[in-house]
Amino acid sequence: MAGAIVEGRNVAQDQTLTPDFCIIGSGAAGGVCALKLAEAGFDVLVLEEGPNIPKEKGPAPGQERKMLNEREVEMYKLLYQEGASRLTANGGVKVLQGRCLGGGTAVNWSACLPPRRETLDEWQKRGLPFTRQNLEPYLREVVNYLPIVRNDKYNTSARKFMLGCARHDLPHENLPNNTHKCRECGSCGVGCPYDRKMSGFVKWLPDAVALGANIYTDTKVDRLVTSADRIVEVRAHFIDRKTRPTQRKLVVKPTKGVVLAAGSIGTPSVLMRSQLDLDKRVGKFTHIHPVTITIGKYPDNTLPAYGVPDNMWTPKFASGPTGYLIETGSFFPVLSASATLQHGDELHRVMRDYYQTGAISYAHHTTGFDDKEKYGTVELDENGDPELNYKIPRANVKPMQESLVMMTRIHLAAGATSVYIMRNPPLEVKPGDTFDEIRKIDFTEPQRATIFTVHVMGGCQMNKDDKRRCVNNDFTFKGKKNLWIVDGSLFPTSLGANPQVTIYSLALWGAREICEQNQKPFNLNHQQGGALPWPGY
Amino acid sequence: MAGILSSALNASANPKQRSEVTKTTFDCLNKKTALILFAVAEAVLGENFLLKAPKFIETVDDFLNYQRPAQREQFLLALLIAETTFGLTIGGSFQSFSHRSIAERREILEKLRSSSLELRRNIYAAFVNVSASTYYASELTWPDLGFAGVSVDHPEILNQPPPIPWRPTDPRPIEP
Repeated sequence: MAGAIVEGRNVAQDQTLTPDFCIIGSGAAGGVCALKLAEAGFDVLVLEEGPNIPKEKGPAPGQERKMLNEREVEMYKLLYQEGASRLTANGGVKVLQGRCLGGGTAVNWSACLPPRRETLDEWQKRGLPFTRQNLEPYLREVVNYLPIVRNDKYNTSARKFMLGCARHDLPHENLPNNTHKCRECGSCGVGCPYDRKMSGFVKWLPDAVALGANIYTDTKVDRLVTSADRIVEVRAHFIDRKTRPTQRKLVVKPTKGVVLAAGSIGTPSVLMRSQLDLDKRVGKFTHIHPVTITIGKYPDNTLPAYGVPDNMWTPKFASGPTGYLIETGSFFPVLSASATLQHGDELHRVMRDYYQTGAISYAHHTTGFDDKEKYGTVELDENGDPELNYKIPRANVKPMQESLVMMTRIHLAAGATSVYIMRNPPLEVKPGDTFDEIRKIDFTEPQRATIFTVHVMGGCQMNKDDKRRCVNNDFTFKGKKNLWIVDGSLFPTSLGANPQVTIYSLALWGAREICEQNQKPFNLNHQQGGALPWPGY
Repeated sequence: MAGILSSALNASANPKQRSEVTKTTFDCLNKKTALILFAVAEAVLGENFLLKAPKFIETVDDFLNYQRPAQREQFLLALLIAETTFGLTIGGSFQSFSHRSIAERREILEKLRSSSLELRRNIYAAFVNVSASTYYASELTWPDLGFAGVSVDHPEILNQPPPIPWRPTDPRPIEP
């Protein structure tokens, strides 16, 4: 019998539930585990802090999700953690993370890359079991199930980037997407209203519900209750549409166990609120991909909001412990305005000058490979809410400067008349200018430049080193036999690639472990097909 | 601690009354912080900004609900600090922030922006980010940018010329 999605904001009474498994988080990892555990015949309950995104026809032709209206002012507060205003503790990095049914998969730009081979090699040195060879069945499952494809519908930012790269003789590649019959509205980042992005609420979660899984949205987990080496309860409360507690509570008493999939800030925070911090190891070594951004101004109208946002990149600079991936995107007014670091007439000039003739490129920077660095730490504030304490590592400063230089060169080669660098104070580079000013930006000081991240990893890592290990190689949390960690928090370093596909794949592996440990079958059902969509990478 | 400081600064703040701030009930702001926010936004965005963002105060007040409570308190505290201390510590006289001219308020913003103190730069970023993003969230500002709007309102956006296929010999499956 099919399960249901229950909206916690409408629950009128306290509730107690007794599923086999309670999965905390409905993002990439939670969705995978919900489906695979439901397939294995378990009674599955998923708890999601954010709202439901019901399937409901909207006024636009083909609109499948009425509530996804593409308006940034409404969507950011609805779909993102802290209304998309989450910052690191020192204010230096904007942390964009999904908080809705489907989690990050609902709001990402649909980019699909596998883990870098050198990242997996590094993880092997740290005792993790994953290689590209033994991950291949899981990668293949993800590729075929979603599916992941080559999307050739390039927006203007991508086309300018291709032109600039060609003029610099830089390799540039199609970046595969999990889109299907994409309508090119450009709104991936505020949720696809047409169900053309194969996010968690389109694929994994409805398939899990069809097999009997139940999902509670608007449900914030307070803590886990333990008894000896087992989790015996999950205590949560419901929140209203403005994220305030409704006074109604939920107690879950899972008969088999708990799967934590709340992401690299959420998972450590649940553990810390439960006094399961493993002598303060939990929350440590949290990694991000700091993002540097450039906007090129072109002579023609670029319609920068529309088209597929993220399907072109260069692998040229991706390797190494501080390598970076330059990708292209789309941009909307609110996101642009929130990053300009301008006021007065200059703010409006920049918005006018760079919006309608702008093209964007940005770089995700790899971090986390230096054993001597502490990187980030998730801590709880006085209200028990998580906060990421993070300072840009010194080793990343030069690559961040150089990524800006390279992106600027590419824009200028493609015909940009100037390039906007979100430095404080802002910097506009024109043809013939030197790049000296870019190379002086000190990213270690907050608000010397706008820095985003959309990828948070680590904080509850798998590692052979007892002083760092929080998660065993069978995905169980150290010292707890019925608690599994399956999300990006188990990464010992950052990934150096968009993490969606890797999280899906590791969660599949984790789901297999859970099934085997509970004497149930686990199957990969989508192993057909030829080569994976990442030739040579 | 922040709560005590906030209460004390709220008691001592006397922001300039503005007829444009008509809202009297709030989720997160209060009348005083709403008036200070108006003064900040006027400095960031310019006079008459409400003409194109008429729900500016309401939008920020609603948005604050979604922030982490500790971060929300910091933002409200920053407004009160700006009003009660920046006039003297940055502006060089006892006249408080909201009572100064727009040009003087912008001078204070400029000094915050270039400050060597992390806290001041963070306050600058919070003020300009919240003001600018709320302003440009209003559809009345979009024509200035050449932004045609979103596809659920304008399906014609989805009828652009067909894209140029790239690398047609690539063997990977192509998105239908």
